[in-house]
Amino acid sequence: MMLKLKFAIIALLMISYQNVMAQSKTIQGVVVDPSGVPLPGASINVEGSKNSASTDFDGKYILRDVNSNDRITFSFVGLVTKTITVGTSTTINVTLAESTQTLQEVVVAYGTQKRTKVTGAISTVTSKEITAVPITNAESALQGRAAGVTVVNGSPGSNPTVNIRGLGTMNNTNPLYVVDGVLVGNLSGLNPSDIESMSVLKDASTTALYGSRAFNGVIMVTTKKGKKGPGQLNFSTYAGFQTVTKRFDVMNTQQYLNYAKDLGSDLTARAAEFGNINTDWQDQVFQDGLMQDYNLSFSNGTENSSSRYSAGYLKQEGALIGTGFERYSFRANNSQNIGKLTIGSNIGVSFSTTNPERASGGRALLEHAIKMAPYLPIYNSANNGGYQGPTSALDGQDAENPVRIANLGYQEVKGLSIIGNIYGELEIYKGLKFRSQVSLDYYTTEDHTFIPSYADGGAHQQAYASIAETNTQGQSIVFDNSLSYKTTFAEKHNLEVLGVITKIENKFQNIVAGSRNNITDEIDQLSNNLSNLSSTSAETNNLGYIARINYDYDDKYIFAISGRRDGGSRFGSNFRYGNFYSIALGWNIAKESFMTDSVFSTLKLRGSIGTTGNDALDNYQYSPTLSSNYIYPIDGEPEIGVTPGGAANPNLRWESKKDRNIGLDFGLFDEAFTGSVEYFNNISSDILFRVPLPASVGVPGGTQFQNVADMKTHGFEVSLGYNDRKGDFTWSATAALGTSKNEVTGLAPGVTSVVSGPSGRSGIENFSRLEVGQPVFYFWGYETNGIYQNQAEVDAALAPGQSTFQPGDIRFVDRNGDKVINSDDKTNIGNPYPDFTYGLNLTAAYKKFDFSAFITGVSGNEIFNANKFDLEAMPRLFNASTDVLDRSIVVNGVVTNPSATLPRAQGASQNYANASQRYIEDGSFTRLKNVTIGYTFSDDSFAKYFQRLRFYVSGQNLITITDYSGLDPEIARVDTTLGSAGIDVGRYPQPKSVIFGLEVTF
Amino acid sequence: MKKIKYIVVVLLGIFAINSCNDSDLELTNPNQLSPETYFKNEVQVQSAVNAAYANLQTRGLYARHIFFALDNMSQENKGNPQLEGNKVPFLNFSFDASSDIIQFYWETCYLGIAKANFVLDNEDKINALSNSVLSQERKNKFLAEAHFLRAYYYFLLVPRFGNLPIYTSSTTVVGAARSPKEDVYKLIEADFDFASKNLLSKSTEQKGRATKEAAYAYLGKALLYQKKYDEALAAFKNVTGFTLESNFYNNFMDETEHGPESIFEIEYDENLGVADKWGSDTAGDGVAESTLRGQEYGNLGWYNVYPSDDILDEYEPGDKRFGDTFYVPGSKYNNGANTMTAANFSSSAGLRRAGWKKYQNYYKRVDENLDSSINFKVMRYSDVLLMMAECESMRAGGVQATAIGYINQVRGRANVPLLATTLTKEQVFTALVHERKVELAGEQVRFDDIIRWGIASTELAGTGFTAGKSELWPIPNRETSSNPNIKPSDNNPGY
Repeated sequence: MMLKLKFAIIALLMISYQNVMAQSKTIQGVVVDPSGVPLPGASINVEGSKNSASTDFDGKYILRDVNSNDRITFSFVGLVTKTITVGTSTTINVTLAESTQTLQEVVVAYGTQKRTKVTGAISTVTSKEITAVPITNAESALQGRAAGVTVVNGSPGSNPTVNIRGLGTMNNTNPLYVVDGVLVGNLSGLNPSDIESMSVLKDASTTALYGSRAFNGVIMVTTKKGKKGPGQLNFSTYAGFQTVTKRFDVMNTQQYLNYAKDLGSDLTARAAEFGNINTDWQDQVFQDGLMQDYNLSFSNGTENSSSRYSAGYLKQEGALIGTGFERYSFRANNSQNIGKLTIGSNIGVSFSTTNPERASGGRALLEHAIKMAPYLPIYNSANNGGYQGPTSALDGQDAENPVRIANLGYQEVKGLSIIGNIYGELEIYKGLKFRSQVSLDYYTTEDHTFIPSYADGGAHQQAYASIAETNTQGQSIVFDNSLSYKTTFAEKHNLEVLGVITKIENKFQNIVAGSRNNITDEIDQLSNNLSNLSSTSAETNNLGYIARINYDYDDKYIFAISGRRDGGSRFGSNFRYGNFYSIALGWNIAKESFMTDSVFSTLKLRGSIGTTGNDALDNYQYSPTLSSNYIYPIDGEPEIGVTPGGAANPNLRWESKKDRNIGLDFGLFDEAFTGSVEYFNNISSDILFRVPLPASVGVPGGTQFQNVADMKTHGFEVSLGYNDRKGDFTWSATAALGTSKNEVTGLAPGVTSVVSGPSGRSGIENFSRLEVGQPVFYFWGYETNGIYQNQAEVDAALAPGQSTFQPGDIRFVDRNGDKVINSDDKTNIGNPYPDFTYGLNLTAAYKKFDFSAFITGVSGNEIFNANKFDLEAMPRLFNASTDVLDRSIVVNGVVTNPSATLPRAQGASQNYANASQRYIEDGSFTRLKNVTIGYTFSDDSFAKYFQRLRFYVSGQNLITITDYSGLDPEIARVDTTLGSAGIDVGRYPQPKSVIFGLEVTF
Repeated sequence: MKKIKYIVVVLLGIFAINSCNDSDLELTNPNQLSPETYFKNEVQVQSAVNAAYANLQTRGLYARHIFFALDNMSQENKGNPQLEGNKVPFLNFSFDASSDIIQFYWETCYLGIAKANFVLDNEDKINALSNSVLSQERKNKFLAEAHFLRAYYYFLLVPRFGNLPIYTSSTTVVGAARSPKEDVYKLIEADFDFASKNLLSKSTEQKGRATKEAAYAYLGKALLYQKKYDEALAAFKNVTGFTLESNFYNNFMDETEHGPESIFEIEYDENLGVADKWGSDTAGDGVAESTLRGQEYGNLGWYNVYPSDDILDEYEPGDKRFGDTFYVPGSKYNNGANTMTAANFSSSAGLRRAGWKKYQNYYKRVDENLDSSINFKVMRYSDVLLMMAECESMRAGGVQATAIGYINQVRGRANVPLLATTLTKEQVFTALVHERKVELAGEQVRFDDIIRWGIASTELAGTGFTAGKSELWPIPNRETSSNPNIKPSDNNPGY
């Protein structure tokens, strides 16, 4: 049946090319989507005339008074508009194709815009792409699909790190998320299957309306709404396993005993005590995690109302023991038309439980697993708690039993998130609309940790049960009132004007409590025993006055201007308001008469310039405060001390960024081949920077926030798409590529560099560096050149007094040639940020089979492999890489195995305590992120049970091509500071997974 | 229907007007106090003074680094292979301006100075309080504590760095240039002088606070470091009411703190909490009421350092202090229940002769953990006696017999033969060098002593010590990179 229709259409199209006598008549037909489902509410217009119609619930339309040489356009949101010349036929059935990469209507700040009129830089991702890959958070859908957007995932339930167009600041680089007009901090409460589309706003002409919060770009999320037509029930599910297969190659018991003996510790008897077992600690901390996801939705729509209700359940066991994530999500989206008034609401609620990766002693689980002595058993029923750990330093230093850390007691973070809005929109006069919207983003988290008493046998013990709880509650209420006017005058002048007043109220409070229980391990709740309690609260308010004017002449020449005046309470009264603006121009070249016969269906040149701001600094920085967090024992009592909390700065103001963007969009062969190319060049100034104060002035924290730093970022983005159909075979390919390069152009006056890095890791604490003329937080360390083989080599290279260097030590490059190795010899040995990121998405369908493959990657970044630091540095005795068996062996001051690449064991501290090139690796990778094969049942024989049923099998991260020796090049940042980017200290690797899925439409 | 629309429009209009109000942008921090309204009563004044003590406890000072840095430089310590990389350079004088230990030391002292200055900046406010709220005597006492602590921190700094930037107010964020060390000593003397006149006596003050006697002892020490022997002796003579502990080891246990010999202590008490100890390099904030000394030095703990042959061999036969200062194979511990064996002194580089006993918890425990509550007795009466001996011996017209008398008080307790009262000035000096070395071993005084006596080059020969350079630490990079008035080129000679 369907096939016949398609042939009929093709036949009709061919006929339509013939010249036919003009004659007024009535045509009718059905408009369907690519899978043959009728489209209710599709628009049918006669070009150059006001004659139009729309389809009914069954996708049928009737259009009167048409001539055979009229051109009719068929359009529907989200599908490619089709234009057909009427010709002789009276029945025209149309199948509208899916667009490869571009929606015809794009969601922009405070509204939508036709793709052809967009003058800024916007990438969009549609629901089809979002649900093509089984993702647990919405941000992941952007990875590799939206050019210039980088996404790095962490452990289950953690928020991914998202950067748009690289870094524009060394402070908060998180983009702003806007869900149905609600400004939110992240998308963790959102079920990806509820999302209709995501628009990434990348340049000031698209983001300036969000003023002081738009600095890092804006991600607009639109949730699915009810569609016109009879009620439709959808169910989808998937389930599968995820696993981490890669391991570090560490020594087994026999190797370890030999190694320890070489280092002076004979542990043979010790190992025998435990029966000479061999525990693979890495196998103990990784597990095959089950993941399952269920979604049920019901969508319904009439002429004057639409609604959609959905419920989802996700449960994901992590690939590391003790980790997991579970989420229940509910959403109700409604809208109603009452004459010229539209009232609606979009409300989503989610409950989640996260079991984060647990750590101890400032070391990640994986680091413990690497360093644990292999002869130790996991369990020992004689010990309190039932685990065996190192009894003394002899059993290896640093490590604790990772299974005990992960499994004894628990840490559970329960979250509640409500994101919703209620709006009313009234058409006061033709084209003149007033809209009022109240939005709410509310969340609570309860972070509860319970660790019963334990004693692993000596070195690690806790004589009491400890209970800790942190409860956080935050809310953001946004009240928007807007007036918009849209008109066309003198036929070809299109004008849109928008004015908005917005007010944002944010509140935050938390309570931190902890206690101990010396009596029992049975109770996991807080008590008054050795308890501590504190709370904090904060409030910030913003006011914004927004205006935008869009004008175009005949869709050819486009002009847009927007501005926002923003007031924020985070800043002192001296600089409380900031102004942001943008101007953009566009030229639809393809619409020019001289292009009529060209292959270009789209050719548009556009450019924009504008400013945005960043207010993401700590609250109340402008006012001086006292801190009472000092304790000193007097007469055996903890006496409280109070002193100034830091150096306030009443002159703080926004960070500001000037964006310049130029882009070219093109579509060839009736949009079969589409693409765009962009270049951006952004200049950030007044970046809030914690200016290091001289330590001697004695300011706690040692810094003062000042608007002093500057940087610049520039890059290219390319998006390409192609789709083709040959009979039953359709296929498409899209590719996205983004580059970005940044450079610090100024820090504070007189400050040329600042160091940073992960805290608490001796040797790499000061490894990341900000320096004028260099990329943000590059790796700063020594270059290396082999190993000193004998004393003569040491003496030749170094001046007397550098006595710590001996044969078998690493030869650090003496860059300035002064024969002294010190910080003057450190240099740029790597950049944690990639030169470019890319993605390639292939889809194909043959009859009822569908196939998709998605490849993503990054190139040109370095990773500081801190695991290697644990695996190869040999500072103390603990388990390590088997490579240490081939370390340099020094006998009588001469290295006896010159081919060794590792220095001597337990050598001079500089071998390991100094971050050097030795730990730097190429972080580039290409990853088959997803590959899916599906089969769809849509035969009439099933029609009484369901409209459509699809089975699929899908694999994630199955193939990764990389030179990186760690477990996963796709690592998350260590903590919230940028200064830790690209440093892999045993991070949660992205697991491989295979899942089976089912989608049913009833 | 129409009515509804009008009502909606009117309501929305009202909301729109109400929504913009500039006063919404004026918010005050609900979490913290404001300095403008502080110093209203005794508790507030006292709390500002308390904060200035907290820096003594930081890892930059007595929680971790100071004992390593000074005991290593004096070669009282030798390092086992596991000694961390940042502490090794203090054994061989290879540290430079990037040393984190030097940075922490510098920072925490200056943070303490700023806290003391915060109290002194508000002297007028404190003095303006009615005497019924706070008596003049108590006002003076609190101000004197601030003066004492400011001088204490400067006196930790000046022997390490020489010329220093001087701050007498906490209100600036602009770095000062280095002033001659003579000016620093002038400030130290004036502060200790004010403190000695206004602090309470040990008998009436709370345990842990600075006292009149401590102020006199440190005033004397600061004068002695400038070789102002007569003035120093006068100050020391005001340190009254103290006797030597009959049991030397009482100076190094938890239960016998604030005993008859103790003049000033750095307080630790793990029962008050240790939650923030790893975060407290310099600021002194949070609950961090323990020191790592026990774990770091203990031969049953991390055993990062061990007593050098040089220090072990300094003791005369029969010196009772040896057994109270060091553990050796055969030593009893854990209340006498356990005995150390040779294997208890093993390292991956072989067996060691001894481990430190001062400030270890083994006297009552079988092991060390990350927390020790034992206070550092940073000023003991025996130290004062030996400094008095030095002043008496060195001053013009000094009576050597009187000096020897002071030394013999210390030797008497140690059960070693008393010195003949006929010794010459040179012989007294030699005796003092020995006596301070053994009496105060592992107490961070020997390096200062050999520097001020001018004998470091010979005492530290072969260690990497470079005369003309190693006497002082470099000003840390952190300071020279952010202080417009101290450039890297202004650093100490050789750095």
